[in-house]
Amino acid sequence: MKKMINYLPTFILCGFIFVMMILLFFLPKSDFSVQEKRQLSDFPEVTAETVFSAKFQNELDTYLSDHIPGRNFFVGMSAGLELAEGRNGSKGIYLGSGGYLFPKPSQKTENLMKNAGYIKEFAAESDIPVYMTVIPSSGYINGSKLPPVHEPYQDGELINDFQSALGSDVKFCNVNADFLMAADSEQLYYRTDHHWTSTGAYEAYTLLGKTMDFKPLPEDSFSKEKIKGFYGTSYSKSALWMLEPDTITLWSNKNQPQGSLLVEISDGQDKKTSTEYFFLDQLKNDDKYPVFLDGNHSLVRITYNNVKSGTLILIKDSYAHTIAPFLSQNYREIIMVDMRYYKKEISALAKQEAADSILILYSLDNLSADNNLAYLF
Amino acid sequence: MVFSSLIFLFLFLPIVLVLYYLTPRRFRNVTLFVVDLVFYAWGEPIFVILMLVSILVNYIAGVLLGKYRERKKLSKWILIADVVVNLGLLGFFKYAGFIGETLNLVLPFLNLPVIEVALPIGISFYTFQTMSYTIDVYRNTVKVQKNLIAFGTYVSLFPQLIAGPIVRYEDVAAQMMDRRESLAQFTEGVKVFLVGLAKKILIANEMGNLWDTIRSSGSDSGVLGAWVGIIAYTFQIYFDFSGYSDMAIGLGKMFGFEFIKNFDYPYISKSITEFWRRWHISLGTWFREYVYIPLGGNRKGLPRQILNLAVVWFLTGLWHGASWNFILWGLYFGVLLVIEKTFLLKLLKKAPAAIAHLYSLLLIVLGWVLFYFEDLGQLGEFVGRLFGADGLRMSDSVAAVVLSYIPLLIVAAVVSTPLMNTLYHKIKNNAVRLVADNAGCILSLLLCTSKLVSSAYNPFLYFKF
Repeated sequence: MKKMINYLPTFILCGFIFVMMILLFFLPKSDFSVQEKRQLSDFPEVTAETVFSAKFQNELDTYLSDHIPGRNFFVGMSAGLELAEGRNGSKGIYLGSGGYLFPKPSQKTENLMKNAGYIKEFAAESDIPVYMTVIPSSGYINGSKLPPVHEPYQDGELINDFQSALGSDVKFCNVNADFLMAADSEQLYYRTDHHWTSTGAYEAYTLLGKTMDFKPLPEDSFSKEKIKGFYGTSYSKSALWMLEPDTITLWSNKNQPQGSLLVEISDGQDKKTSTEYFFLDQLKNDDKYPVFLDGNHSLVRITYNNVKSGTLILIKDSYAHTIAPFLSQNYREIIMVDMRYYKKEISALAKQEAADSILILYSLDNLSADNNLAYLF
Repeated sequence: MVFSSLIFLFLFLPIVLVLYYLTPRRFRNVTLFVVDLVFYAWGEPIFVILMLVSILVNYIAGVLLGKYRERKKLSKWILIADVVVNLGLLGFFKYAGFIGETLNLVLPFLNLPVIEVALPIGISFYTFQTMSYTIDVYRNTVKVQKNLIAFGTYVSLFPQLIAGPIVRYEDVAAQMMDRRESLAQFTEGVKVFLVGLAKKILIANEMGNLWDTIRSSGSDSGVLGAWVGIIAYTFQIYFDFSGYSDMAIGLGKMFGFEFIKNFDYPYISKSITEFWRRWHISLGTWFREYVYIPLGGNRKGLPRQILNLAVVWFLTGLWHGASWNFILWGLYFGVLLVIEKTFLLKLLKKAPAAIAHLYSLLLIVLGWVLFYFEDLGQLGEFVGRLFGADGLRMSDSVAAVVLSYIPLLIVAAVVSTPLMNTLYHKIKNNAVRLVADNAGCILSLLLCTSKLVSSAYNPFLYFKF
């Protein structure tokens, strides 16, 4: 027996690879990855043709990667190893202090400036005022929570450059200074997600009030409902499973009359309606952010009868879903457009709706990656 | 199929181990031959035919050489024919495009069509292996292998099929026919394999990431960044290649084979001459045995020796790839070796060790610049960057990446020396050694698996907006 112990490495290797293989054969397979939010691959088709073209072999590789036993455990272990090696951010996400996760800076300056050009031209031809705000990234605003070694976040500079490239036809609301100040005392962004929190969105709402000339509803007119257990996309990407979840806070106007609100969502021919800003059914899913206005849709019309007038076209990315319920307190009608799905002219839409202002709201990261603004007009 | 993949570790290897050890001893070569073919056919099924042709041609050549041993002239022609077929196949599949392009460059009026053929994996390795067999049969230093399966198994042996070591037939002739696998040898193999796996996955791949990041940042890297980049590549190529050799040697042991060592801490060399005794030993040995010595080696006077060295290093460069930069790289070392042979080696021996190390490392690292850039324009640009053509400043983004890799660079530097190995062999206490062995094995297995799984983990960010 004393001798056998010398051969332990053999039993370790063989034990490990055989157990893994057996588990691979017999464990039930899931066809969807919750963390990655994608369909996992099916077992590849075995035919003479797929084998000779090596298609089967390549697909088997993917199949194995997708269904390897203990997948999340290993991915988490790899993330831990990278942290131990001092390579914070190697999965594109930095782990900051206080459990904050920050996507690495990803802005593409060239594309950003191209988009500035489109918007400038669009505003020059528009009959109604065009407003814009760009939301900086969490890593920039929460700079003091970043790890000491990180790639530079240049949001301040980029947003300033973008603003000056827009010219005077676009009325720009630059939130950076106020956000930087507020971030000391308040949580403007989720820890495990790139999106802003309701607090962050409310802050921007009050700032937009100054630019767009409306009177923001004071904070104490809202009741706040806390939803625990939200893990965002930064969490999934980082694979740092030990982190604490976030809390989503839903702000509702205490004095909203019954039946005064109508949310109409349409994606081409598909339509659905609701009388709430918040889609609580979405909280059952792993990605809970779509609780705000049901996530991404081509066109969403929010009609709030309690407000006398005002029609706003809101051209936006997903950050707008959190702020739209606030803006709705000052506009009778908001028509929210997602340029990735809505492929008609915005100026025609504005005319047809007799809109009196247009607000373009994007996060800096999305704006610098977006290729759809060329279709504004 | 590569060793550092989930398919190999968790499907191929366990299945092959079971099949191999369930097979009665006398049929084990058959089992091995079949799994070798599956292994080879995995990525490019069609090229398995090419390998089978190569096996058959060399097998027949060997048998004929044995039969007509007495007829000197005939056996010479058989060998020449065999070498022509081997080099012809290698030349066609590896160098046709390169030769066509070069000819068009020199003789543009010919306007030759440039043939694009996919490179069958491992062809450079197994062609050299089969040639080592026929040449040695011709020289009567090895016996003819009459068993086709045993010969086919030697050529296609999956552990060393794709990336060496280039096992000479002579070294494994006896093992092909009769080998006694043992638990002790298997255990040794497991350890060597897992060391190699860790070298490849935990160090080489990460160094590759660093090099890719720095290289693609272009002039943002500054002088220092460019040096860090090429040093990272220096580590990548060593840990990648020697890791692969270790895995091959380890797997060989698991199936009862003993292959020669292919790397012996090349980066601790005190001269380029020493470096080439420590780097890719099996290739150096092959060229020495089958090119340098037959050409006369150093026995025909200095001018002839220099010519012989030039031929060997031209070919060594060319063997690494069908591109001018590889030839340059080979000749670069050829020139250095001639310089060392004529006078420098003596001076280096007298010089302080630190100077000799620095000299060697500097030239080795610069050599990898030649090796990496197939595009001579990019090569020039990068060399310029190393010496300040793009300014000194390293951008903040590059600096952040470089800083985050410092711990791993230190690990890579330490593991490139025999230090860990020396410490390991200092362990006299059996219990301590057992703990070290097994902890090492478990760590390597878990961490390598985690890296392999994680590299295929792709959060789908379509919903990012």
